[in-house]
Amino acid sequence: MNTYEVFLKKPGKDEFRHAGSMQAADADMATVLARDSYCRRGEGEHLWLIDRDHIVAVDPDVLATTVDLAHRTNDGSAVAARRKRLREEAS
Amino acid sequence: MTRSWTDLDDFQNFIDGGGIVEAVDDMPDDYRAEVFRFIEFHANSELMGGLTERDWIPRAPGVRLKQIFLAKTQDEIGHAHLLYQVAADMGFKDRTQMLEELFDGRSRFHNVFHYQAVTWADQIAIAYLVDAAAFASQRAVFAECTYGPYKRVLKRIISEEGFHMRHGEEMLLRLTEGTETQREMFQAALDRWWWPAVHLFGPDSDPNDPLLRWKIKSQPNEQLRHAYIQKYVPLLQSYGFRIPDDNLHYDDTFDGGKGAWLTSDIDWEPLKATMRQGGPDSRRRISNAAANYADTAWVREALQRTGAAA
Repeated sequence: MNTYEVFLKKPGKDEFRHAGSMQAADADMATVLARDSYCRRGEGEHLWLIDRDHIVAVDPDVLATTVDLAHRTNDGSAVAARRKRLREEAS
Repeated sequence: MTRSWTDLDDFQNFIDGGGIVEAVDDMPDDYRAEVFRFIEFHANSELMGGLTERDWIPRAPGVRLKQIFLAKTQDEIGHAHLLYQVAADMGFKDRTQMLEELFDGRSRFHNVFHYQAVTWADQIAIAYLVDAAAFASQRAVFAECTYGPYKRVLKRIISEEGFHMRHGEEMLLRLTEGTETQREMFQAALDRWWWPAVHLFGPDSDPNDPLLRWKIKSQPNEQLRHAYIQKYVPLLQSYGFRIPDDNLHYDDTFDGGKGAWLTSDIDWEPLKATMRQGGPDSRRRISNAAANYADTAWVREALQRTGAAA
């Protein structure tokens, strides 16, 4: 038995979403069972089934290194401060 | 590799800060064990409930109701599948083990599936009263539910239970507006099912219940039970049915004048008996489920062989 991760995409602009997991002997069986388990009432228009063994799960520590890079974002506070100063100088 | 917590206090801070635990996390052993037990119980209950529904497919009056019961059965068994997968991923037991323990009478499931549905009206009482009780307690779990994989499948389960409840109410209204015999049938069913439905919420929660502390449950049992009684007593009475409780009364002074329906002191012995597989219909239910599992062994074998041949 293989374990498959199930991703569904609704019609429209939504992205694929993880719907759950399931076991099946092969991709054909997984297709039948996934429809019956996850899409009985038109919950999705597209369905991805991914063998769990093929997923590369990235260590959270790898992603943690990108949290503290303030120069890659701009929260607008410098602009706001400058505008406020200019307003005050003008008045 | 995975997220971990230095101790239970650290973990509690994470939970209190709105944290959601995922299957790959190095969660505290107690959390893993308690949450697993809870999900396994839920999975078992969905499966046993689905088998109860199945029994009524041939006897449901009319094609539309047969279709509805087919769909409900498929939903309940489907819920069990989703939940067994989530439980299996917690690493204690695989699905086969959980099923074999259930059919061996070594595993627990909801009290209401330890009773026999005698007439079609019983099945409606189950669809209306019992499903509503289960729905209320599932929604209270979904409200917070710090275990991510469980929360995600609950979302799907709850949306389908919503259909079931509406079916239940529709069927009840048909009986209510039917003949005197039909109304008597439902009253008899209500007499059998009222207390098991109330019992489903369980005795008052221990204030130290770890499932409350870890936000798997969002409300203690007694709160959910109280809210259920407030909703269903007046509703059933408005349809002209009698609640089988001689001490049931409305107390105007309850909670500083807010008022509430209050029941007799609840006898928890019947609930405890079901948790020991000693309910009125436990043995038959479990042996039927076991026989069904044995009868369908060839399907599981065929599915395995399909995979091996590929």
